Amino acid sequence: MKWLLKIIDATRPAFEEGGKLQIFHPVFEALEHVFFAPSTRTIGAPHIRDPLDVKRVMSMVIISAMPCVLAALYFFGLRFIAMIVVTYAAGLAVEATFSIVRKESINEGFFVTGILFPLILPPNLPLWMVALGVAFGVFIGKELFGGTGRNIFNPALVGRCFLSLAYPKTMAASWVEPSHELTGGLLTWVSPSLDAVSGATPLAMAKRAVDPEMGSIAHQLMGSVSGSAGETSAILIIFCGTFLLFTRVASWRTVVSMLGSFVILTAALIIGGAVDYPISGVFGPVIWHLFAGGLLFGAFYMATDPVTSPTTNAGKWFYGITIGSTTVLIRNFTGYVEGVTFAILLGNIVAPILDEIVVGIRIRRLRNEG
Amino acid sequence: MKFKGGYNILLKGRPASTVKAMPEPKSLYLPLYSERFTFTEIRVKDGQEVSGGDILATDPDNHAVPLLAPRAGTVHLKTVENHIVLEDVAQLEEHADIPKKELLHIEQEMGAAGIKRYKLLSLGAWQFFYDAFTGALPDPLGTPQAVIVSTLSIEPFLTRGDVQLHKRLLNFTRGLEHLQSLLEYQPIYLVMPNISSEFANLIRNQIRGYASVKMLEIPLKYPYEHFALLARRLNLKPGGGPVWSVRTEGVLAVDRALTLTKPCTVRIVSIGGIGVNLPTHMKVMPGYPIQKIKENYIFEPAARVINGGILTGRILEADTLGVDTECRGITILRELEEREFLGFTRPGWSRHSYANCYLSSLRKKFEENYTTGVRGELRPCISCNFCEEVCPAGIMPYLIHKYLYADLIEEVEQARVDLCVECGLCSYVCPSKIDLRTQFIEAKALIAKEKEEIRQEQLRQEELQKQQEEARKLSEEKAQ
Repeated sequence: MKWLLKIIDATRPAFEEGGKLQIFHPVFEALEHVFFAPSTRTIGAPHIRDPLDVKRVMSMVIISAMPCVLAALYFFGLRFIAMIVVTYAAGLAVEATFSIVRKESINEGFFVTGILFPLILPPNLPLWMVALGVAFGVFIGKELFGGTGRNIFNPALVGRCFLSLAYPKTMAASWVEPSHELTGGLLTWVSPSLDAVSGATPLAMAKRAVDPEMGSIAHQLMGSVSGSAGETSAILIIFCGTFLLFTRVASWRTVVSMLGSFVILTAALIIGGAVDYPISGVFGPVIWHLFAGGLLFGAFYMATDPVTSPTTNAGKWFYGITIGSTTVLIRNFTGYVEGVTFAILLGNIVAPILDEIVVGIRIRRLRNEG
Repeated sequence: MKFKGGYNILLKGRPASTVKAMPEPKSLYLPLYSERFTFTEIRVKDGQEVSGGDILATDPDNHAVPLLAPRAGTVHLKTVENHIVLEDVAQLEEHADIPKKELLHIEQEMGAAGIKRYKLLSLGAWQFFYDAFTGALPDPLGTPQAVIVSTLSIEPFLTRGDVQLHKRLLNFTRGLEHLQSLLEYQPIYLVMPNISSEFANLIRNQIRGYASVKMLEIPLKYPYEHFALLARRLNLKPGGGPVWSVRTEGVLAVDRALTLTKPCTVRIVSIGGIGVNLPTHMKVMPGYPIQKIKENYIFEPAARVINGGILTGRILEADTLGVDTECRGITILRELEEREFLGFTRPGWSRHSYANCYLSSLRKKFEENYTTGVRGELRPCISCNFCEEVCPAGIMPYLIHKYLYADLIEEVEQARVDLCVECGLCSYVCPSKIDLRTQFIEAKALIAKEKEEIRQEQLRQEELQKQQEEARKLSEEKAQ
């Protein structure tokens, strides 16, 4: 790959100070560092560093989301590729503009947002809305707060929240019936739209009590139910999410506390008789709810974002519990069908407060130390 | 405090347990500075003939700790900057006894216990002592609240305790007895990796009746052998006075100084790391020419020579010509030269990471080929919490980093940056490649400086008040 390095070295002067394309230095730097690791050396102790860098951390998330992307293609058709491309184009434009204005380097964080954002959108959403959503999410959710590492909200969820508040009708009309053929949607552009009557996701059906079956748990496991592009296949998400937990990019504390509190609270509500489900028993409806909608995807991919979740381990437990129980409340007692997006955004709000409390306690303990 | 955090880094080139004798040098280059000491008071003249054990220079800031001549030779002061050069070095080890007159004089002045301490200081054994809390040289005439003796050096690569103890168990136990004789009722804690081993029992049997030594078992995990952590583990408080801490080589030096009354000038120094053929331990004296060591052991042309371990050592500058008096090991590390193509997409069978983000986590632990590369770009903190997990001191490095970023010095102090033991693990694991260790060292220095300024200010004001009061009294007296 010497020739590529030669090209990069030859073009570098143009982007450095005094060069013609000086303002595009962040873009050049980002491209250079994608291909070649930086040549910086340690200047003092410690003389060696762990090989893990932010690029690797982020690429782990992207790798673990790949099966969900393939599942989205399989169930909802090739249009999903267009959604990904649009997301990256629009989001990168915002990200690069800000990097150029701020004269900072482009951060890898966006590449994760770019892959996760289309996965939480209805599969037939107009492409201009995809672009608008991601641009809004990156701009308001991240760049205004100071970029990667300083944002309070998960940018992908901010974008999605914006879309569902600004265009509720289009969002609701964009659900499609997943392909039930053997080849799936791989040969089609997009699966046929659902009609408005029986329409929408299992959660919506349950809310309106249209279908007493509410979609079987087996379908939810496989993913052949209607829903956001990447969130339908429970088994894939659990599998890939566990991989993410194993690599320690995502924190198991958040996932366990979020899903645990969700299960416990739902079971308690059913046993207490506060909510009524067509499925009999306690176990059945709890599992159904666990697999329905974006709960699993949110738990493994969205809530675990290290930047927007609390840093302290104790904080992570309470953060997960906040999200899990808020989801239950929104799903069962409000007019909204799906509550995960709002619950995680609420969790993002309380995360700094939780951290503050935990840090306060720990600093008080440290005061007596030594 | 319980032990927490810590992490072992496996680096290629672990020194073997053998101790090699190095060829005798013709000249010695004694650096006038080491990690803790700067020898500014030169006691010899240019061209003077000295014999082994003579004091060449002392450090006035550190209780006049001496720089001893390891061998007889002729002093050259100005040949090399910041070095004392000994030419025509004698081949055989000689030692100069302390003159009887001087000993008598000291005995009259300080008593029998004072003589031992004088011997320790002037024969070069005292420089092996550390204060556990500050890491500085303790006052040789002071009384400690406890003594910690550690046989461990886990950081790659420092001279290991087991290598030094090999065949010298008797000297070690005798050294412990000498240490006991310096104390009244204060405890001696002996830190070992396994206190129920045969070896530990041997020590126990040897010192029974002569010294009361409490044994403490610690896991073999970096940096649990750090004296500040051990002191906290033993619930010793800085308010209770200094804690003398000493490693294996220190106890052996105490034995040599007090049993044989000989200067302690020869040390066992490890040489290891990537780029060393036959990593091993070698017997050298301070001032031993680095160039000779390089010729004998290093084959890598672009290598970084580190004085100390891989995580806390300092780069050995090219203008340092000899081994300094505090050297505990020399580590060689390859400099990064080639840029890796699409590095972040590689599966990583051969690289070891704290997180399981490489396929190597499916493999058994192995020794890795590290280079000096930072292996990533500097990024803002992503709050991964790895630094807190590895921190052995129980502080929150990311929090202190964020406070420092916002210039909140008071909060930094409250977050107890002073508990940081500078082990370097937080910098090592950080995926955003933030150099936390350096930031904390700077913050600590800044806080210390501010405190000192406040203290000086207070002193000045007190002085002023006193003067005013005196002036008032004087005027009152005059009025009467």
